[in-house]
Amino acid sequence: MKALHIAATGMKAQELNVEVISNNVANMRTTGFKKQRADFQDLLYQNLRRMGTETSDTGTIVPTGIQIGSGVKIASTARIMSQGSLEQTGKELDVAIRGEGFFQIDLPDGTTGYTRDGSFERDANGQLVTVDGYAVNPGITIPETTQDITISNTGEVQGVDQAGNTVQLGQVQLARFVNKAGLEAIGDNLFLETDASGAAETGNPNDNGFGSLQQYFLEMANVDAVTEIADLISAQRAYEMNSQIIQAADEMYSTTTNLR
Amino acid sequence: MENAQLVALSRQSILRNHLDVIANNMANINTSGFKSQEMSFVEYIMPVADGTAFEPADREISYVDMFTTRTNFEPGTVNLTENEFDLALNSEGFFVVQMEDGTEAYTRSGAFQLDATGQLITANGRPVLTDAGAITFAREDGLIEIAADGTIATELGIRGKIRVVNFDDVRTLEKVGDTMFKGENPVQVADARIIQGAVEGSNVSGVSEVTRLIEVTRAYDATSKLVKDLDELRQQAISTLGRIQA
Repeated sequence: MKALHIAATGMKAQELNVEVISNNVANMRTTGFKKQRADFQDLLYQNLRRMGTETSDTGTIVPTGIQIGSGVKIASTARIMSQGSLEQTGKELDVAIRGEGFFQIDLPDGTTGYTRDGSFERDANGQLVTVDGYAVNPGITIPETTQDITISNTGEVQGVDQAGNTVQLGQVQLARFVNKAGLEAIGDNLFLETDASGAAETGNPNDNGFGSLQQYFLEMANVDAVTEIADLISAQRAYEMNSQIIQAADEMYSTTTNLR
Repeated sequence: MENAQLVALSRQSILRNHLDVIANNMANINTSGFKSQEMSFVEYIMPVADGTAFEPADREISYVDMFTTRTNFEPGTVNLTENEFDLALNSEGFFVVQMEDGTEAYTRSGAFQLDATGQLITANGRPVLTDAGAITFAREDGLIEIAADGTIATELGIRGKIRVVNFDDVRTLEKVGDTMFKGENPVQVADARIIQGAVEGSNVSGVSEVTRLIEVTRAYDATSKLVKDLDELRQQAISTLGRIQA
């Protein structure tokens, strides 16, 4: 009786499903967060009677065999890279991306991280950094005396100096990937390039398929509470039903044991 | 009398297999594109010694045996996911996937993605086939739209058509795991309806599986009771008949 183990694979799968859902819900208000979904697949089948085998000399065959499965496995936790809704913040260094692309961030270990979270700040040197203090790449330095910073939808950063003249401060560039769902999340709203994502291609916003920028806005998480709760209910019920199977298998074992 | 015990045993061992099938359905209640299975039984008549010479003749003994596990191909619910490479089939048919050994496998689970080169693959990394074989998207393709009939339109124009096939007799399809089926002689489906941004859920119905589960456990209990009663009967027979009367 494999039922015990089959049900155990089911419970484990649903446990992971709940973990994924809870992470989505926990990050419902995380800027630039992209939700994940657990994908399942069935495991191998045991053929007790193979379909298509001959049942007589005259060539009659078994039309449908007997196949007994062995449970479920987790195929992937795919990240859904759909656009999150934009929320107005009124902060001049908040930038949201509408469409394709990621901001590039210089990480302390020298690698480049990618993020959709555009809640930037100025550090002590006037450099544009993330809330963790990592510099935005290509670097943009905003002198202390510069005011009224505007970031156009094509990524041009401008300001007004003390004399009242408009000065160019830099250009925000975006990176995009062939398979953005293949990026590796490392926390802190950051992603790393992987073999699965392909190499980054950089370019200016609003140019050749890149998304455009929106100053004074932030991109919210693409988590939809209703969907998540519905998924949570179905995951929990599935977990319960699988535990019922374990109970039933246990009862059957105990019946057998109590025969004598 | 021993026959009755053997008949009960045949029932019990099959109930265990039946429980395995229910467990597998239940384990896959959230597996996209999964098709539930049902087990059918057959009466297996044990040939007995030719008893025509006697009056009354020997009765035939019927055992129970597994006949087949039938796959239920009813469609599952369509769940919207917003993922541009999630495809749900809202009609009959199967997506075609290329296996490692070059053969084709068929699946209803349309949770597809891209690999590093931009090729459309399943969650296991196997290429999804279009009319012209596997398809690879480039950055220039931009937004990818897959129409209801499977036509793939990108910013570079029409790139092909997702292949959807069906079979004369879906009952002959063999499950090979990974929500895939193996089959022979696929026929192109002309009127496929694909929904982009959705996946087909499992068609396992929790309620009916639990009902079957109760049936199985109760049947198992009842059969065990029968075995126990037979055992007691035999014990009684031995003690009654075996008494030596002086």
